[in-house]
Amino acid sequence: MRYTTFNQHDVNPLEQPMFFGETVNVARYDQQRHSIFEKLIEKQLSFFWRPEEIDVSRDRADFQSMTESEKHIFISNLKYQTLLDSIQGRSPNVALLPITSLPELETWIETWSFSETIHSRSYTHILRNLFNDPSPIFDDIVRNEEILKRASDISQYYDDLIFHTQLFQTLGEGKHTIEGVEYTVTMRELKKKLYLAVNSINALEAIRFYVSFACTFAFAEREIMEGNSKIIRLIARDENLHLTSTQHIINLWADGQDDPEMQEISMECFAEAQEIFLKAVEQEKEWATYLFKDGSMIGLNEEILCQYVEYIANHRMAAIGMPTMFDVKSNPLPWMNKYLESDNVQVAPQEAEISSYLVGQIDSEVNAAAFDGFEL
Amino acid sequence: MAKVNVIQSEKSLAKFEFQDSEASLLDSLQHNGVEMLYHCREGFCGACRCKIKSGSVTYLNEPLAFVRKGEILTCCSKPAGDIEIELL
Repeated sequence: MRYTTFNQHDVNPLEQPMFFGETVNVARYDQQRHSIFEKLIEKQLSFFWRPEEIDVSRDRADFQSMTESEKHIFISNLKYQTLLDSIQGRSPNVALLPITSLPELETWIETWSFSETIHSRSYTHILRNLFNDPSPIFDDIVRNEEILKRASDISQYYDDLIFHTQLFQTLGEGKHTIEGVEYTVTMRELKKKLYLAVNSINALEAIRFYVSFACTFAFAEREIMEGNSKIIRLIARDENLHLTSTQHIINLWADGQDDPEMQEISMECFAEAQEIFLKAVEQEKEWATYLFKDGSMIGLNEEILCQYVEYIANHRMAAIGMPTMFDVKSNPLPWMNKYLESDNVQVAPQEAEISSYLVGQIDSEVNAAAFDGFEL
Repeated sequence: MAKVNVIQSEKSLAKFEFQDSEASLLDSLQHNGVEMLYHCREGFCGACRCKIKSGSVTYLNEPLAFVRKGEILTCCSKPAGDIEIELL
């Protein structure tokens, strides 16, 4: 089944599953199978921000007075986040758009990925301010083993889905030999790859950012690197919304509200999805070890950071119907909450940045009395 | 005023009355010293999700986070009468 940019079949999108149904034709939103995705689009648009709006110039002096071990923590986290958003800025588009069957979901994926590209641009904004030449930092992302280890774990599920989708869309179902390797392409296998890829994305959005967020906000608690912290708060707000979308996809499948075959696969591959999640948790904890290898920072150490990862992992796993695995009942870093509050992220305290003001702010009702004060 | 009973791991964690002046159930939980996870405070992230064992809540705005039957978000709701909730 070749991908077509405008499917000429007269398809009823209300009867299509989220993925692997007919390709989308008319980008229409007057009727929606899963209206949640349009609500997420509206929310994401109301969050719109540009890195240049945030003044990071005071961070330079703060950075220069940091200890070497703190600099290592700060820069390593930026590198890791740069990697994550490099992947997220393109992969949902490349992996998911060719197999999406609902217009509202298609537009959500584009909106989501676009917001990740803003994050990527903001890392350059931060680094340009700290260094005259930030290129050694970027260059190290593809050389640093600790980062590469994570990169391959994250991208493998995407890459596997993309490659098999390409085989399916050019050669169809069946056995295909490419460069001497035989691949069996079936719809069932494709859907399994999709299920695992979405679970891997969910783990990324749920867990992978949080060790570096915690470090950023721990610096902000000491009133240093505050420009950076403002940017990371905006990123965290976006990531929270992305997480909601992957939780919705996984739960719609498992609850039988979408493709019945995906419900079967949700049960069949549940243990594998759980392993993906737990591996992300382990890797984040290893990341904390790497960050603190030369010494910890005020307000944070490896142990408490690992407990925090476990604590939020419990909540994130419960959100997608997985049993909780860790014995941490209370929040080890309660001050994190306030940095993640949506309306605490104002760059300048103007209404324009408060999302609730932006949704439905236009009042189209005009009555004759509105012009009473005017004279010609 | 609605009574709120909070349990965790089958043990009572807190009992208090929801004050009408409080903006949300999460506000009330915090005023009464209950430490719980939350992020957005707007109903889109779902971090403040918990189980509702009895009673019901009224939402101040429609949650965007996935909420199963028997679950509520505390950040964007108020109790509609006495409730019992269970934290993760």
